[in-house]
Amino acid sequence: MNPSMASYLPILYFAIMAAIIPVAGLAAMSLLRPSKPTPTKLAPYECGVASPTEAFDHRFSVRYYLIAVLFVVFDVETIFLFPWAVMYHRLKLFGLVEMLVFLAILVVGYVYAWRRGALSWA
Amino acid sequence: MTAPFFFWFFAAIVVFGAVGVVAMRQPVHSALFLLLSFFGVAALFITLNAEFLAAVQVLVYAGGIMVLFLFTIMLVNIRRTAGQPYVHRQAGAALLVAFFLLAVVGGTIVASSRTSGLADAPADPAKLSTTTISRMMTETVDGKTVKTPVTEQVAGNSQAVAWGLYRDYLLPFEVASVFLLVAMIGAVVLGKRTMEHVD
Amino acid sequence: MIGVTHYVALSFLLFAIGVTGVLIRRNLLTVLMSIELILNAANLNLIAFSRQLGDLNGQLFAVFVITLAAGEAAIGLAIIISMYRLKGSVNLDDASELKG
Repeated sequence: MNPSMASYLPILYFAIMAAIIPVAGLAAMSLLRPSKPTPTKLAPYECGVASPTEAFDHRFSVRYYLIAVLFVVFDVETIFLFPWAVMYHRLKLFGLVEMLVFLAILVVGYVYAWRRGALSWA
Repeated sequence: MTAPFFFWFFAAIVVFGAVGVVAMRQPVHSALFLLLSFFGVAALFITLNAEFLAAVQVLVYAGGIMVLFLFTIMLVNIRRTAGQPYVHRQAGAALLVAFFLLAVVGGTIVASSRTSGLADAPADPAKLSTTTISRMMTETVDGKTVKTPVTEQVAGNSQAVAWGLYRDYLLPFEVASVFLLVAMIGAVVLGKRTMEHVD
Repeated sequence: MIGVTHYVALSFLLFAIGVTGVLIRRNLLTVLMSIELILNAANLNLIAFSRQLGDLNGQLFAVFVITLAAGEAAIGLAIIISMYRLKGSVNLDDASELKG
């Protein structure tokens, strides 16, 4: 195991702790609590509003999907922007022009989505 | 290459997640197992000195593609799909094909690993996280401009990826943006059409 | 000692699980998820060899494979939504108009 990998160990410990704490909490609760269920106790509870008592059944609008697609596309754009940014001062003007062409092509899609109304909610 | 414990631990997570994806009846459960598998693969990327790709894996797969899957699952009425049979009619034949694939390629991997030198020690990992940049440095000495070649070493995996991506892979990088443009337009066209049909 | 062969074997196992999912499942969403598993297997393979050979090109390929996976998921899921709105089902067997 080389030193660069060892620096990732805290992330692993963090992930393991994040998994242990809720599991341990739920396990401790199920061991300690008395279990006397009644229909009222088992009903879903939500503070302030009438809680739905049946399975969730209505569909979401497809607009959510369009927003998610735009998010994914710009997410991928970000992964290209990040390495470009860390090497920006060494790539110089060449890198800047390259990235501007990349962004210009993607802006075409953004404008298209905008003009088609994929971003409007009404 | 890496401590055996980490490989087996994350490999087990990846395989467990992948089997869960295929075996779960509800798509939303499959999606959560897929997420587990993605995280396992990201951890394996770190053991392979691909830190930048590990981050990309989490950002794009666990952050982006997973959101897309979950939104689609919400859009598709679960109740109506619940009672449907879960494997394909030709599942038996398909399993047989998959098994043969496993046997043939698995056998090839085992056979070739003995002869092809794949068991050799891996290359120096520093190669994946250092970039050597050579450039001309212009100086003015005694009123004359003198050009001297300089090389500098830049550390870091992201930096190395950037140098490869923006110098050697210039055209694929620009084509990737055209690809993303096509994907975006395609999704908007398909999405808007369904929206106009229904709403 | 964990070598490149272990990673290649794992990558192939992941690929085989993905292929199994594509072939046996009827739910289009699960089929698409299995395709994502296959793409992950390809990435793992590329990066394992990149590490073995000390050649960064494998990692660069993987960046493009991930880009491709994002586009594929976007279009694939849009097609699934269209099919659901059209047929009220995301079952592969219901999309068999072209069957001879």
